[in-house]
Amino acid sequence: MKSYNGAYLVADYPDRERFISAALKSLEFFDFLEIGIPFSDPVSDGTVIAKAAYDVIESGVKFNDIMKSIDEIKSKIPADRKLYVMTYANHIYHRGIQNFGKIMNDHGISGMIIPDIPFIESRRFTDIFEQQGLEFIYFITPESKPEQIKQIAQSAKGFIYSVSMRGITGSSMNLKADIKTAVADAKTQTKVPVVLGFGIRDVESCKNALETADGFIIGTRMIELLNEDADNSSFNKFVEELKAKF
Amino acid sequence: MAIADYPENMPDQKGFFGEYGGSFIPEQLQVIIDEITAAYIEMKQDESFWNELHYLYKHYVGRPSPVFHAKNLSSKYGGAQIYFKREDLNHTGAHKINHCLGEALLAKKMGKKKLIAETGAGQHGVALATAAALTGLECDIYMGEVDIKKESPNVLRMKVLGARVIPATHGRKTLKEAVDAAFEAYVKDPVNQLYAIGSVVGPHPFPMLVRDFQSVVGREARAQILEMTGKLPSSVVACVGGGSNAMGIFSAFIKDKDVELYGVEPAGRGTADGDHAATITYGKPGIIHGFKCYLLQEANGDPMEVYSIASGLDYPGVGPEHSFLKDNGRVNYQSINDKEAVKMFFELSRVEGLIPALESSHAAAYAVKLAEKKSKDDVILVNLSGRGDKDLDFVVENYGKEYGVDKLG
Ligand SMILES: Cc1ncc(COP(=O)(O)O)c(C=O)c1O
Repeated sequence: MKSYNGAYLVADYPDRERFISAALKSLEFFDFLEIGIPFSDPVSDGTVIAKAAYDVIESGVKFNDIMKSIDEIKSKIPADRKLYVMTYANHIYHRGIQNFGKIMNDHGISGMIIPDIPFIESRRFTDIFEQQGLEFIYFITPESKPEQIKQIAQSAKGFIYSVSMRGITGSSMNLKADIKTAVADAKTQTKVPVVLGFGIRDVESCKNALETADGFIIGTRMIELLNEDADNSSFNKFVEELKAKF
Repeated sequence: MAIADYPENMPDQKGFFGEYGGSFIPEQLQVIIDEITAAYIEMKQDESFWNELHYLYKHYVGRPSPVFHAKNLSSKYGGAQIYFKREDLNHTGAHKINHCLGEALLAKKMGKKKLIAETGAGQHGVALATAAALTGLECDIYMGEVDIKKESPNVLRMKVLGARVIPATHGRKTLKEAVDAAFEAYVKDPVNQLYAIGSVVGPHPFPMLVRDFQSVVGREARAQILEMTGKLPSSVVACVGGGSNAMGIFSAFIKDKDVELYGVEPAGRGTADGDHAATITYGKPGIIHGFKCYLLQEANGDPMEVYSIASGLDYPGVGPEHSFLKDNGRVNYQSINDKEAVKMFFELSRVEGLIPALESSHAAAYAVKLAEKKSKDDVILVNLSGRGDKDLDFVVENYGKEYGVDKLG
């Protein structure tokens, strides 16, 4: 089976133009793109992503600006490439859950990844998003209980995000036996791909991830690559490498 | 939720006070927070734990803290009788030690190696560093760079106590940023560390746990004031940053329908965005640092930058239980600005010989306003949450002249 992989980028980072270019480039390889809408209190992000998000907020970029960038990306990618928005609960709550969902629909977003909504708090969001045809992405972790994995596996849309370790973005990859068990457990019970994220940064760790999961998500490394130069060349080179290897 | 059931059924099992509170944190952290909840609930039923905590309250903290009838202040303003619950007399100088000892014992029981926390004024940091030293745990305190400069005596105390003080260098470099930094450090290693949050904020179970540990203040004060005056107070007043000292004293009076409760927020230097931290007065419901509460937020949905002269009060969120008590009307939330707080800092020092923390000055300043409207028979109980030693340098440097105090002699 072909793998199902995603990249994470912070919206309009390092600037609008380079973000859009990086998004389009990554979708030459990746099946979906997670677009981070910066929040000033990112409880699930490590230093690299948190700083990028902070820079975007400081530079005065607003929610509507980000939606315009998303429109531009959407207009230039094939229909089978999906865009997800990754943001924190307050951004959604602040605009109203229903209204936020409508905005996402209007801009062609497939679904949302909201790291500060654990499964036990998800109902109030999923009830509304599902009616709007939006995918609410669930997380599984090494400690997820079998009962919860079962519930998630059966209600999941889009893909299941498995977190390979305790901790936050930017930590190193540590595929413990228990996440392998959790992923395997989820895979037998769901129709959607189970994708591994957090700590994946090179061809080696991608390969490792694919031994267990249906795909991988690369985040922090993408931001680091954008920080390496002023013209996305390191970033583009990395995407080319992935295209060649997978 | 009826007040009659209060607070036994608060929060509910998922940590909600009405619509506020809960647990808005990453899945991978939720698992660990669930362990903390389970450990706390087990510990709560264990008599030996409470015995140990009460032993420390008595012999280490110096509890019960007294209640003092501020006769000079009361007669000067000519209204109600003002009484202070003297949390300023606790070891380490504020109410924060009450929950820090509880959190340290919990960490110890769970086999954690390190306590970490944010601090604004440094009071929570000092209290936690103290509890860590006592229980043999390591301790990292995150503190905004601006507050580090402002509260230098407390920074030195934390270091002397063996804690590491780690500056938060982003944003306004104050309390919110310290919470961000502590959260970030916490999620990196939630297995070996316990985030001993400094107020009734954060994800469930912290608002409940910190309130439970602080409730000793209210229980003592209620009995003391009954003994001293033969009746319940007409009003209870406390300052509200996150809201721990206020929940501590309010919790014993919530069911006493005739006792008015006042929470006092910092009005800072004005009503413009960014000039105050009066969360309940100007905010609207939102989600920050893992819980739902009133939140000062920008049009965009990001938490607003906030300001107060009192480092312990400048936080854009507020405890979920306060948010609930605001909506159901049981507590009346008011605000006091920087100038009024500084005025009371000197007033209380000179009229009663009590140098209050700038945070507590907010409560005292409101109490005096309230006293003027009441009769001589009314009793107002104020939580004097901390002493002002930590604020001396800052206050003298910025306001000394106005009050005839010159640093250089
Ligand atoms: C003396 C004192 N009072 C009050 C506070 C505010 O905290 P809370 O609202 O949680 O009581 C602080 C915080 O640093 C403090 O030091």
